[in-house]
Amino acid sequence: MGHTYQAVQWNPQKKRYDQLVVGGVLLYLAVFMAVSAAVFPEATLETLLIRGLGTAALVLLHIILSIGPLARRDPRWLPLLYNRRHLGVTMATVAFLHGAFSTLQFHAFGDVNPIVSLFTSNTRVDSIAQFPFQPLGACALVIVVLMAATSHDFWLRNLSAPVWKALHMLVYVAYALILLHVALGSLQTESGTVTPAALGLGAVWLGALHLRAARAEGARDREEEVREAAAAEGWMDACGVDEIPEGRAKVVVAAGDRVAIFRSEGHLSALSSVCQHQNGPLGEGRVVDGLVVCPWHGFQYRPRCGTSPEPFDERVPTFRVRVEDGRVLLDPRPLPLGTETDPVPVSSAGSSPA
Amino acid sequence: MTTIEVLVALTGLYLAVGAVFSIPFALVGAGRIDPDARAATWGFRLLLLPGAALLWPILARRWATGAQPAEERTPHKCAARDRTGAEA
Repeated sequence: MGHTYQAVQWNPQKKRYDQLVVGGVLLYLAVFMAVSAAVFPEATLETLLIRGLGTAALVLLHIILSIGPLARRDPRWLPLLYNRRHLGVTMATVAFLHGAFSTLQFHAFGDVNPIVSLFTSNTRVDSIAQFPFQPLGACALVIVVLMAATSHDFWLRNLSAPVWKALHMLVYVAYALILLHVALGSLQTESGTVTPAALGLGAVWLGALHLRAARAEGARDREEEVREAAAAEGWMDACGVDEIPEGRAKVVVAAGDRVAIFRSEGHLSALSSVCQHQNGPLGEGRVVDGLVVCPWHGFQYRPRCGTSPEPFDERVPTFRVRVEDGRVLLDPRPLPLGTETDPVPVSSAGSSPA
Repeated sequence: MTTIEVLVALTGLYLAVGAVFSIPFALVGAGRIDPDARAATWGFRLLLLPGAALLWPILARRWATGAQPAEERTPHKCAARDRTGAEA
């Protein structure tokens, strides 16, 4: 690989995004605390802050878990997806502050170690109304802090993508623990129905979003598998020439993964859609100055050979394409890394292998 | 000592060892197991500390054995490699 790690790969858009996120969290806290102080005048400032941070983290978690399925259904959400890790680190920080202040407030002023007190002060596991909800929150906090601590590219590369992904899928375990933490906690501190109703709505929203996205993705993948199987050893009908806008790509499935067929200056080239850096979605990127640019971190590849310009040495497989009667045909067998292909003019008539 | 007290003490010990380990790892070890971390910024090294303190046994093993990051295996790369082998 040919790049050096930085703390944060900021660009003007990401800076604006982060400013919006931090500003949004601060605004939420201010509004939440002001409204809560008016509704619950007996609540102390510490209690308002703890609740404000806890609910802010929960709202952020719902946004984070919504972004993936929303982006799969509508590409306009993709910019949020590309910055999701910043949102995750913000959520973990807010959740950590909630946990730290809660532990200080409820467990730090006795004779017992605060962490021991957190796990032992309430042992009524046989009662739903009095269930020890704080350990559930503590376990969720461990997960989100571990995820935030390993969110940098360094960890993805050195833990390997499957391990990193499995680790970060624990967010769903954390979500379940947090739901129980909040639901059981609200039973002990309030008698209203607002919190359970909001939690239920959130869970239904996320469940429905994930289910719809999984169904849509499953149907698309099945369609692609059928098309790939029909192609067997030969060329597969990928799409119409008109379906690929200039400077962008059409993504199809071939050889078990996604292939991006790019159109640049009236010519077509096909690359594996999986960026060598973090498996980013190359097919969602665009061609800039003759190079395919990954939308996640700006890694670049030459369309004709799938290699990065010097001094970088990333390489992704290329595929042969040809145009027949306005249809783009793709040879589903990936070419050896670094293989040069001739871009195919979109206007080519008859058979013209790349 | 109760079971919880023992577990909390062991966790504290684990994290204390991790905190001590994380400093030389961020300064030297990260660059040994990943060439891209050799000339990395101070901000990056600072960001490594919490993760290194939490996952220190894995990192210590990789550092001790001189392990390097494996190249990502994707279906396309495997197929391309198989094709290279078949054509050779």
